[in-house]
Amino acid sequence: MTRSTVWPQDWFTVSSGNPEPVRLPLGIGSVTAKLLVVDDEPRTAELTAEVLRRAGYAVDVARSGGEALDRVRAATPDLMLLDYEMPDMDAPEVLDSLRSGAERIGFPVIILTGARHAPGDQVLGIERGATDYIVKGTDRQVLLARIRGALRERRPPTGAVVRGRLKVDATHGEARLGDRPLKLERRPLLMLQLLAGRSGEAVPRSELLDQVWGSSYTGFEHRLEQAIHQIRRELREPGWIETVRGIGYRFVAQS
Amino acid sequence: MELAIDSSPRAEVSAAAHRLRSTLARLKAELELAEADGVAPPVQALIVGLREALASLTALEDAAFGLAPIQVLDDDERLAELTARSLRRLGYDAQSGRSLRSLRPREIVIFDLGLTAGLGAEEMALLKSARPIVVTGATDSAARAMAAALDAAEYLVKPVELDDLAAAVARRIGEGR
Repeated sequence: MTRSTVWPQDWFTVSSGNPEPVRLPLGIGSVTAKLLVVDDEPRTAELTAEVLRRAGYAVDVARSGGEALDRVRAATPDLMLLDYEMPDMDAPEVLDSLRSGAERIGFPVIILTGARHAPGDQVLGIERGATDYIVKGTDRQVLLARIRGALRERRPPTGAVVRGRLKVDATHGEARLGDRPLKLERRPLLMLQLLAGRSGEAVPRSELLDQVWGSSYTGFEHRLEQAIHQIRRELREPGWIETVRGIGYRFVAQS
Repeated sequence: MELAIDSSPRAEVSAAAHRLRSTLARLKAELELAEADGVAPPVQALIVGLREALASLTALEDAAFGLAPIQVLDDDERLAELTARSLRRLGYDAQSGRSLRSLRPREIVIFDLGLTAGLGAEEMALLKSARPIVVTGATDSAARAMAAALDAAEYLVKPVELDDLAAAVARRIGEGR
């Protein structure tokens, strides 16, 4: 390949040209995903924002960690691109503030870094709630592909999810169908909340594995099946959780 | 982590630094010439040159920090990407896919044995030359024979924890080509 000396562009799910931006379902319609770019270097922030706008996203810019936190409190973005090194706060501090007690941050965060580290340093390796890491200078197509990937896997909603007679509140370890409490272990409960939060959508098995079991490599499929079995058994009524062959599972609210 | 620079990584650091400097010097010369002639610089050549420079910088960091580029191959592309993402968290330049790409210098391949059936002779030879880290759901003798046929450096049985995968990658980097 003649391009072997440059960063390859033809890997992962990148197709040629600008891919369509991810649109998020919202009721019956959909909205353009809103991204927040955080970088203290104004030109870098603007250039990054411009690339994303041209790809069709709505983009907001924050010039410091503090400003980023203010923006998030005012309006939650669908995804944050966060510079690792900033004068007022570094990325782990921003992540800690965003989490502030919650188990997970409610939207994906991709960290952009100019510095790479030895694996043993654990500077980037510490699990602070970031979805992905991208080294600065990575090609536009790769950046956009990673953003699309992260948006598709956005976090399950925090707080209670109510779908008809079903109420799931994984944060407080509770689920009820009408007045009847459901006895679910933590992971089945998280999975039910995730599926219910995306009612009507076929959620891939691999996504459930990632979000509920963490980032372990494949091989946990049987536990996923056990969890689905437990959820169905506790619901006692058929129809709430459909199996979508070859993909995963879909939540269907029952009257 | 201490930067243990023995002769081999040191030679790699030196070679990558040399490439980086050469490329940057060429780009500087292009820009100076354009400025002296009062013409627009050759934008396309500059973009290509800058990509080369970034690739050299990546190679330099890899050699200095004991990292290597990685491609993760699995028939479930999304799982491959999640694994690549986990490796990126550890500092590796990890990419994912469902089929083997041409190898970058020092690239490590993590290969799901389930993909073996779809390999052509050329890909098989390329994969063998990479001495892949094989991941498999099967532990039977056929799987072990296949791993041996691929000249696998490591043989990991699913489910594979990230720590074990990272340890296998570190050992593979330590071995060299």
